Amino acid sequence: MSDNGGLALLLLGPGGSAGLYWVLYRYYRNTDKSHAFERETTVDAKPVTGADSKVGTNNGTRESSIRGNNVNEYRHRVARMGNESG
Amino acid sequence: MSESNTPKFTGPGSPRDVPPAPGELGVDPRNLPPPIRDELEKPDPVAIDTTARELKDGNNRCPRCAATDIRQKPGTDILICAFCRHEWHGDRVEEEFGFGEGLDRLEGTTVASGARDIEVDAAVLRTFKCTGCGAEVTINMESEMTARCHWCRHVFGINEQVPNGAVPDAVLPFHIRKDDAVARIRQFVGKRSFFALKAFKEEFTPENVIPVYLPYMIVDSKASADIAGQGEIQTRKYTRGTGKNQVTYYDADVYKVDRHVDFTVDDLPLESSRERGNLDTSSNTNNIINTILPFDTKNAVKWNASYLRDCSSEKRDLNVVLLQPRLDDQLLSIARSQVENSVQRYDRGVRWEQEGLKVLGSRWVSMYLPVWLYSYQQTRKGMLHYIAVNGRTGETMGSVPIQQWKLLLAALTAGSFLESIAIWILARTS
Repeated sequence: MSDNGGLALLLLGPGGSAGLYWVLYRYYRNTDKSHAFERETTVDAKPVTGADSKVGTNNGTRESSIRGNNVNEYRHRVARMGNESG
Repeated sequence: MSESNTPKFTGPGSPRDVPPAPGELGVDPRNLPPPIRDELEKPDPVAIDTTARELKDGNNRCPRCAATDIRQKPGTDILICAFCRHEWHGDRVEEEFGFGEGLDRLEGTTVASGARDIEVDAAVLRTFKCTGCGAEVTINMESEMTARCHWCRHVFGINEQVPNGAVPDAVLPFHIRKDDAVARIRQFVGKRSFFALKAFKEEFTPENVIPVYLPYMIVDSKASADIAGQGEIQTRKYTRGTGKNQVTYYDADVYKVDRHVDFTVDDLPLESSRERGNLDTSSNTNNIINTILPFDTKNAVKWNASYLRDCSSEKRDLNVVLLQPRLDDQLLSIARSQVENSVQRYDRGVRWEQEGLKVLGSRWVSMYLPVWLYSYQQTRKGMLHYIAVNGRTGETMGSVPIQQWKLLLAALTAGSFLESIAIWILARTS
């Protein structure tokens, strides 16, 4: 067995401990829960418009997804283009 | 706007994460020991889905026969069922404010009278002279909106709009009865008792649950959002090296991605109490009360203090201007979720880098929403744990304090078991 495989096996114990603690803590305390307004509010959206243009390539990377992938993290704010409130 | 005036809703806890779907746990209960598995697999308290047709259509049904052929008794605020002749009181604000209509035509900021700015010097104590016996009766609007004359038992209610934030535009009366709320809390805690704090279990008396009307702003909004970033599409996947040195590499095309979406939002509820709006899970459990949203606000009726008899209430202490950043934040989150389907071709994901929001119009109505609240003060940590039941849908959520040593022991035991298996495998293969 490779060194990496052995190390991963040895991490099974601490990882399992932390994982079980984390799951049960959240199950009892529900600190991860909040109003899921993204899916529980009536939203009437017009068809999404936009543009896509190829700007380059990212060849030979070892990462399986784009760095900083935040497509599902709706609530994590990124830089603002400008804010006009009516 | 000064930072200190803005309520803290971005605590270090996880409400910044999109909450998991109902029933999503992150672990398969079948792999866990029986006591834990049994708890996880017990049924949850049933909640009425607010997307259910009977609530969404906003039909105000006769409470006796559920007929919808309801007419106003001429000259009064009494409603009468044309089917069974049952009479009752209550005008829906949906018609009164045109709430839910004309979302597409919203412009600027429209604020209903009960949502206007709070006057800092407006008194919260109101004294009435009893018309029955002449005695003076005082109502403290911080926590109650009705009072009974202690001499002649005449009941008073604050029905006129006082500019202190205590009188909203509308109220959504309780539908869930106390015995139902108690049963739901008992069921919820029954699923979480193995690792619960011993003192919590000993003192658990769900009959002490209290009905509370909490202040919210219900917001309709019309907005447009622009989001920009980069997305990647995988063009090739290959490995180099052999054996244990084998490494996987990916080639991808990089795209600049721009998206624009115009949308309207109907009845978004925002906490309008500074304290309740603080969702910092490291210091409070207000996220529990936040989780039982939404309510069927379409069925809210015009303000009448009579609905608050024998209930507590909390006064609104936030104005529209202070809630605007939270509205912007939630609208941006909604926009981001709306554009997700349009970027599915980017199989390596998208990194959004910039986002912009233009709120074209918003309409604000203040409302008291009904919550059954059970609380437990954990003395050592000073944490107040809530178990809350939505007074309309019955949705139940709670924070159950944990017996730390018991949970740690269980986690360490599970870890030791896994570790011994790992060592046994390593010993056999080396």
